[in-house]
Amino acid sequence: MSNPSNLKRTALYDSHLSLSGNMVDFGGWEMPLWYKTGAVKEHMAVIKAAGLFDTSHMSVVTVSGEKVREFLNFALTRDISGQRPGRCGYSAILTKEGFCLDDTIIYPLSDNRIALVVNAGMGAKVVEHMQSLPGGDRLVWSDLTGQVGKLDIQGPLALKILKDLVRNPDKLFEQFPYFSFKGDFNFADTGVFMRDGTPVLLSRTGYTGEFGFEIYLPADRAVNLWEMLMSEGEPFGLIPCGLAARDSLRAGAVLALSHQDIGPWPFVNHPWPWALPLSETGGFTKNFYGRDALDPASAPHTLPFAGYDPRKVDTESARVLCEGEDIGRVLTCVADMAIGRVDGGIVSVASPSAPAGFSPRGLVCGFIRVNRALESGSRLVLKDNRREIAVEVVTDIRPDRTARKKLSSML
Amino acid sequence: MKELKDLNIPDDIKYAEDHEWVSTEAPFRIGVSDFAQDALGDLTYVELPTVGMELAKGEEFGTLESTKSVSPLYSPLSGQVTAVNSLLEDEPGLVNSDPYGEGWIIEIAPGNLSELDELLDAAGYLEKLEQEE
Repeated sequence: MSNPSNLKRTALYDSHLSLSGNMVDFGGWEMPLWYKTGAVKEHMAVIKAAGLFDTSHMSVVTVSGEKVREFLNFALTRDISGQRPGRCGYSAILTKEGFCLDDTIIYPLSDNRIALVVNAGMGAKVVEHMQSLPGGDRLVWSDLTGQVGKLDIQGPLALKILKDLVRNPDKLFEQFPYFSFKGDFNFADTGVFMRDGTPVLLSRTGYTGEFGFEIYLPADRAVNLWEMLMSEGEPFGLIPCGLAARDSLRAGAVLALSHQDIGPWPFVNHPWPWALPLSETGGFTKNFYGRDALDPASAPHTLPFAGYDPRKVDTESARVLCEGEDIGRVLTCVADMAIGRVDGGIVSVASPSAPAGFSPRGLVCGFIRVNRALESGSRLVLKDNRREIAVEVVTDIRPDRTARKKLSSML
Repeated sequence: MKELKDLNIPDDIKYAEDHEWVSTEAPFRIGVSDFAQDALGDLTYVELPTVGMELAKGEEFGTLESTKSVSPLYSPLSGQVTAVNSLLEDEPGLVNSDPYGEGWIIEIAPGNLSELDELLDAAGYLEKLEQEE
């Protein structure tokens, strides 16, 4: 409602306005929170059909040079020693204190060149941090923020929409497993093209838990691709989706939001173990920056939770109560409107087991940070200034997500 | 967000500064304005008071919730809650689709009808919205 001056705008800013996007400040960028269809229908579209997100506010950083892989294997929590070009990986970037500076998707482009996609406004900070680490200043860093556009097409019908818009779809989609990519951020050399010749990097990733792709391209081609996707996708039910749907979808998919669910506290005891090089005995299998500060015995525990109706608490003031004792705070608290309880268990509108005509009222869910480990199923109370809601600790939230489905089953 | 010129602000009801409306004759219904429903976005839950509850003017009597936010509702009048719109329990989106009709929230027996005079009329409410632009 305020006049957000000095905010950055993506190439699609005018498109968002013409689609009645409700624009807000997100990480220094003026981005759509929802469009005229509203956040609930947007959330549902990604689960049942497909949604299109402008995520061009994300930062892309590339780094190249001799032994770049060895350097990043020290700078990142994830063990990337075996990560081949063409495969994506999720990692945290830690400070000396073991705190999370940001999270990233790693894109190895070749043996000596790797891209990191980090959060809005974080490109320069991540480069500065990396250059301060031993060996970081002898590598060549490029912050492509603003030059690279990014459109995410997410949902079970994403491939049906995309396949007729790319060159050589049969070859392109022949082998394309979850968390892999094709192409290059150097778009002159990418080798992957839309039908109209637009060069892209196509990544089978996303931030919704649902099947789909993230498409990177030159920023000045983003409007054209957006319009192409919308026009091809409309008969399939594709609608533009804003940050509110992105947030409720990712929370239901148990994905962290940087600076909210991960941040200035030790990056350990959380539901994203694949971001750490954990051994079977609980130790670490490689050295990495911040490692020595990670002490699971003393660090707080981050846990996913789900409740029994859509009522939420205010994360600023809410406390987590375990049998009356204050054990921590609430990090994320949203309503996933695609899920409800059936006989005590969580069922999604996409679940094969959903009763006929299943029309859930939604469930509160998110993450808490508490001072102890808790078993899945533990009953807790979240209490803010207004109300107390009963929730349980869970290992997963929205069931029957499509992100990992076999590509051939989505055609 | 809707442009101010696109907002539906009926002139036969009164408005509070924090965007509730109240009808000016019995039954005294209370809801939220088109501006409020548009700003809050799709509602996912409406917390209703219990019938019989006594409200002071300005007292919180429930919440409107979107997927991410919880927004309090304040009573524009003092009085006793005589009815709640229980349709909203299953269809909170009625507040979005029909904020002055099927999306009404509570009915109240006013304790002091002169409080109506302290509320804004449609022109005054629009003026307030314009000033906040």
